[in-house]
Amino acid sequence: MSNNKKVNIFLLIIAVVLFIFLPRFLSGYMVRVITTIFMYAVIAQGMNIMSGYMGYLPFGNAMFFGIGAYVTAIGMSKGLPFLVVVPLAAITAILFSILLGLPVLRLRGHYFAIATIGMSAAILSVVKNATEITGGAMGTTLPIIDKDPSIVYNYFYLAMFGLMVITTLSLYFIIKSRFGFGIRSIKANEEAAISMGINTTYHKVVAWAISALFTSIAGALYAYWMSFIAPDEVFDVMIAVNTVVIMLIGGAGSILGPIIGAFIIELFAEVAWSAFLEYHLAALGIIIIIIVFFVPKGVSGTIADFIKRKKIRARKRVSI
Amino acid sequence: MGGNNTILKIMNLSKHFGALKAVDEVSFEVKKGEIIGLIGPNGAGKTTLTNLATGAYSKTDGKVIFKDLDISNLKPYQIARMGLTRTFQVVKPLIGMTVEENVLVGSLYGRDKRNTDMKNASKRAKEIIKLVGLESKKDFLVSDITLPDLKKMEFARVLAMEPEVVFLDEVMAGLNPTEVTEASILVKKIRLEKDLTIVYIEHIMKAVMGISDRIVVLHHGRKIVEGTPQEVVNDPAVVEAYLGKRYAKGIKEANNEG
Ligand SMILES: Nc1ncnc2c1ncn2[C@@H]1O[C@H](COP(=O)(O)OP(=O)(O)O)[C@@H](O)[C@H]1O
Ligand SMILES: [Mg+2]
Repeated sequence: MSNNKKVNIFLLIIAVVLFIFLPRFLSGYMVRVITTIFMYAVIAQGMNIMSGYMGYLPFGNAMFFGIGAYVTAIGMSKGLPFLVVVPLAAITAILFSILLGLPVLRLRGHYFAIATIGMSAAILSVVKNATEITGGAMGTTLPIIDKDPSIVYNYFYLAMFGLMVITTLSLYFIIKSRFGFGIRSIKANEEAAISMGINTTYHKVVAWAISALFTSIAGALYAYWMSFIAPDEVFDVMIAVNTVVIMLIGGAGSILGPIIGAFIIELFAEVAWSAFLEYHLAALGIIIIIIVFFVPKGVSGTIADFIKRKKIRARKRVSI
Repeated sequence: MGGNNTILKIMNLSKHFGALKAVDEVSFEVKKGEIIGLIGPNGAGKTTLTNLATGAYSKTDGKVIFKDLDISNLKPYQIARMGLTRTFQVVKPLIGMTVEENVLVGSLYGRDKRNTDMKNASKRAKEIIKLVGLESKKDFLVSDITLPDLKKMEFARVLAMEPEVVFLDEVMAGLNPTEVTEASILVKKIRLEKDLTIVYIEHIMKAVMGISDRIVVLHHGRKIVEGTPQEVVNDPAVVEAYLGKRYAKGIKEANNEG
């Protein structure tokens, strides 16, 4: 292991320890804000593998968040413990991603982004109308953990943090693997990729299944955390819009980008958007435009470029 | 014809785009270890034939037999993994990756199953990069290298897949004369070293003369001539395809008079 890598791992471990103890120094309100940031970072990693690394924007990914939340709510209302329900939620989401992905992911290009919005809308309407199972448009409740709220909020803070760390580490190893090179090749040039022996349809479907896995577990935790969910909220297209902005500002196709982006956007929302609540969407739009024009590679991409340029300059100096 | 050392058979292969017969009942065979020149003016159907053989296009009719198997209904990735690969006339680098990463993808997904392991594949990619002489560029992003280097990179990427037959679609296009000479020396060297069978596609006849064992000439989607470089270069039909009827007639008349 190079020294550089050792330093990075050391810094990451320190960051993890700091985050574990952070809630002791924060108000309950801030603990919930940061839990939301972790949650968005997880959803953004689900978008990152598909869009940042593979070049397919899964605009309807909120459907997996909703599926995760609803399977959890229904399972727990039947008396199943949370830890049994979570795998069920994940499996359901993965099955949906495979069944819906196989027909559309055979195709190349932008059909996918649009098709997923349709799928999400269709599932939302089923959930709203299957009142007997889902509680319908009014939403449904989950069992409340019978403990002091501040302790409960700390649980969910830690659980969401753990989920974020696990998804990020998983993505890191996926991207370094053969499969990771496969999906990056699809983004780089799908025609070249398939001519080079890559089964593109298989890669796209598996990547979306991984994306669904991440997103659905975030949804499951969210449902238990809130102890009340409604269809319009957990299938909200704005979840995807927010996540896309987070991924872009942090840096699509970078491992830490979604986490950085989630902190920037959500903290910014806390500070500024409360001041002009009605212009929430307008502000989001302006941020998208600013990213596209000024930091197309996102914060982490821009920093990485800066470091790379410095390294090349240093190497040139050495070779002279 | 045929026999055990035939590795690739194109049989009555056709591809129609609407009314246009881009490839029209073309047949020829390629023997193991050969370099076949595939020539013809622009629009003759050479790239379309490559797309058919490697599965990128679905055929209108005919068959492609590779190592005694009909591959004409297989997907490009299946054909590539069997050992039939191609380069692109218009280069298709994997943008956002380095030269080495491009070649690594080739070895990870190629014919040799040992290279599905990252360590083996990585070692193989490094060897191939050395072989084609791209070592000094291996950490460059593909967006930062010149066209001749991109063409070398695509060749390296294909070699890393351990193919048996390679279609090189106008690898010389866009190169200057010095670069062309360098590139043909490289192709010859590697072909010997790796026991490759090559279908060498060019629209400039001169470029394939020195390198090919046999030449197939396409014109308006049809095979018009097949033979040794000497036979082909003297064939009136080839002269006509390249230079037009009037010029060909002129030569014939001059020959008759002389
Ligand atoms: N995808 C396509 N759709 C329609 N026409 C095509 C397509 N690909 C090639 N063609 C046509 O087929 C003919 C042969 O093209 P091509 O195989 O590229 O020739 P070459 O490689 O010999 O220059 C040309 O007339 C070309 O315009
Ligand atoms: Mg061509």
